[in-house]
Amino acid sequence: MEPGPLPIPTRTATIRAWKERGGRIAAVLPIHYPRALLRAFGLLPVEVWGPPQVNAAYSAAHLQPYVCSIVGNALSFLHSGGLDVADVIVVPHACDSLQGLGSILLDFVRPRQPVFPFYIPRGRRESDLEFLADECRALYRGLAEVTGRSSSDDELMECIRREEEADALLAELHRRRPALPLSNRAFYHLVRAREYLPAETFTDLARAALDLPPADPDDGVPILLSGIVPEPMALLDSLSEMGATVVADDLACCGRRLYPPGTTDDPFRRMAERILNGPPDCTRGNSIAERLQHLIGMARRTGARGVVFYDVKFCEPELFDLPLLRKGLQEAGVPSVTIEVDLNEPLSHQALTRIEAFLEMVR
Amino acid sequence: MNPIPALRYHWNVHVLGPAVLRIQRWQAQRRPPRWDTRYLAPPLRIAPRTKELVARHWLAGRYADGYRKVAWVTSGAPVELLKALGFYVLYPENHGAICGTARVAVEIMSEAENAGYSRDLCSYARTDIGAALSGKTPVGRLPKPDLLFACTNICQTVLFWYRVLAEYFRVPLIVMDTPFVYGEEATEHAVRYVRRQLEEAVPVLERIAGKQLDERKLREVGLVSKRASELWLEILQRCRHRPAPISVFDQFIQMAPIVEMRGDPETVDFYAALLKEVDERIAKGIGAVKNEKKRLLWDNLPIWYRLRYLSEFLARHGVAVVVSTYTNAWGELAPLINPDDLWDSMARTYIYPILNRGTGHKLATMRRMVEEYGLDGAILHSDRSCKPYSIGQIDQRDRLIRELGVPALLLEADHNDERVFAEEQVANRLAAFLEMLGV
Ligand code: SF4
Ligand code: SF4
Repeated sequence: MEPGPLPIPTRTATIRAWKERGGRIAAVLPIHYPRALLRAFGLLPVEVWGPPQVNAAYSAAHLQPYVCSIVGNALSFLHSGGLDVADVIVVPHACDSLQGLGSILLDFVRPRQPVFPFYIPRGRRESDLEFLADECRALYRGLAEVTGRSSSDDELMECIRREEEADALLAELHRRRPALPLSNRAFYHLVRAREYLPAETFTDLARAALDLPPADPDDGVPILLSGIVPEPMALLDSLSEMGATVVADDLACCGRRLYPPGTTDDPFRRMAERILNGPPDCTRGNSIAERLQHLIGMARRTGARGVVFYDVKFCEPELFDLPLLRKGLQEAGVPSVTIEVDLNEPLSHQALTRIEAFLEMVR
Repeated sequence: MNPIPALRYHWNVHVLGPAVLRIQRWQAQRRPPRWDTRYLAPPLRIAPRTKELVARHWLAGRYADGYRKVAWVTSGAPVELLKALGFYVLYPENHGAICGTARVAVEIMSEAENAGYSRDLCSYARTDIGAALSGKTPVGRLPKPDLLFACTNICQTVLFWYRVLAEYFRVPLIVMDTPFVYGEEATEHAVRYVRRQLEEAVPVLERIAGKQLDERKLREVGLVSKRASELWLEILQRCRHRPAPISVFDQFIQMAPIVEMRGDPETVDFYAALLKEVDERIAKGIGAVKNEKKRLLWDNLPIWYRLRYLSEFLARHGVAVVVSTYTNAWGELAPLINPDDLWDSMARTYIYPILNRGTGHKLATMRRMVEEYGLDGAILHSDRSCKPYSIGQIDQRDRLIRELGVPALLLEADHNDERVFAEEQVANRLAAFLEMLGV
């Protein structure tokens, strides 16, 4: 259990408990994938966002230094035995780097676990929905083959409903963020537990968090956090120390995955529909204008005074959008700052100074 | 319709321009070769014609505004549809390559960097965004697009890049998403998806073009496109011959028409003439590199701003780079195009470019080339700002060495950003590699 006002089981404890109950683990790379589908086969999705601070030497044997540290670290983590607990590995498609990783895992690295790539279409047309539903069906067949199990449509729908409930509560946590008596770190600790907790455990936890007595009005500078992942998590402590409160986010691991409930009764279409209807995300094909409107809307709703773009070095999807997003935000009266990080390096003094200067400006 | 743009277009593109370009060709044919003919064969006779053809293409673009609809497209886009609807088709990647060879890319991409675009982004994209922002170009003037068409079969980068263009130009962007092929074959649902997107694109294209797609015309363009690709492939395959009649450095220059003028009848004529010249070279025993001792493969994009340097450096040691996964990409899919089943075959053709296939497939292509072309080694250009092509090269190099016993060098550079080209380091690494090859 991690320290804080809520009893959040750790990743290790969760995996151990799941395995003890005879469950299996799916290690899943960023960003979008159908959790319910994995659960239907008794696989608990445990996400791999990096992780930070691993020995990068192994990835250097396969990847050039100009590949982002999310991808490099995942490979190093796999090599160091970090994914030994996993029974399957799922590599969703988001960018050229994740595509490359999926490909070298399948063709060269060949881990002991089966590797399932999962392609995410880049539009929201009927053809995209149909394709993604088919992609879910293909993943279903692959998982059925390796697990020797099958799942009826009703069972699948049951899993989907459970995930929808967890996601609804996750969205509620984000909505009520300013009123929750949680520090930046504690809040993200909680919402990021969605990356490994079974949906039902997360649901209980989220309910408990929502029942906490409301916080006193916060005098921190309200800001939005955008980017991929808030790692190292020490960033969140630093933000608190500097007097900033993250009131909402557009992080790939958090705010961009507040999937709405599905509407159709076909489980595969429903899973696809949920992913495609999530908040705007550059890796899933949303336009810069859509992202900009989303960010401006979020800033207006929460009263955020500015945006911290906290991006992983070499992340093209983010880097292409940044200039126009920042320009559009500036025109809307929402200033921003960009910080680039490498997950293997501690948060630099320079980065903190920049954030501090930015907060001074917007305070 | 305003007659001025039409008159301007016809006068410049059909009357004045061709006359000027013909004179320039005539002058070029009489100029002494610019490269070192002690080690390299004299330039191809067709080279001035290539220049003329390419210049005519850009000239047409220069005067297209207000007269022809213009589409900016990625190199893997289904150009047949656009050609059949009469679009002037502009390839920003090709324009980037022209800027690279003309050594003006850095100046142009700096315009994008000054606007906030990171130096870690694809240097073609930076060159293009820089050109769009500043109007700087070595081809006179780039026409504004009426349409943007991005096909993800070369990378995801184009998707992000074209979204930026869509914001700047405020014109429709069609995305054709071609799911990456991890295994041996694309899944049937992926092919179905691509085909459906091709069909969905038609009404949008028709609306912008202001005319209906004529299936007969499409079939005609498909046939021409197939024939040009076949000829290109034949030319490349002639390099199995010893000595190789042309090198990849020639191929890099001669590939411009197959990329940007695929579907035009003059492209077929052009490659037929090139094939003839290549065959003449073979008949006369002329090799691109005089005294060819070793034969190599090139992987990944060219280093546009150092073509001559690399070509001469290697030729001095009797090393000919005879085949490349890159130039091959515009020929290898020719057999897939079937004008009698155009829609389905287009879907398959556009899902299978080498860049849309796994790292293992690329290794298999290289292995095949090693055997078919009798290669002694490979240079894998690790291209800093092209991740889709470069990821996997470390394993590919290791396997070429370990499993085929083929010496292979990973050469760090960038296709268009010469600021990352460390000349001394490159020279040292190449020298050590050549020593290993025994030349
Ligand atoms: S950080 Fe960016 S480049 Fe890296 S895996 Fe995530 S989306 Fe791709
Ligand atoms: S150079 Fe590479 S990253 Fe750039 S457009 Fe071409 S394939 Fe994409």
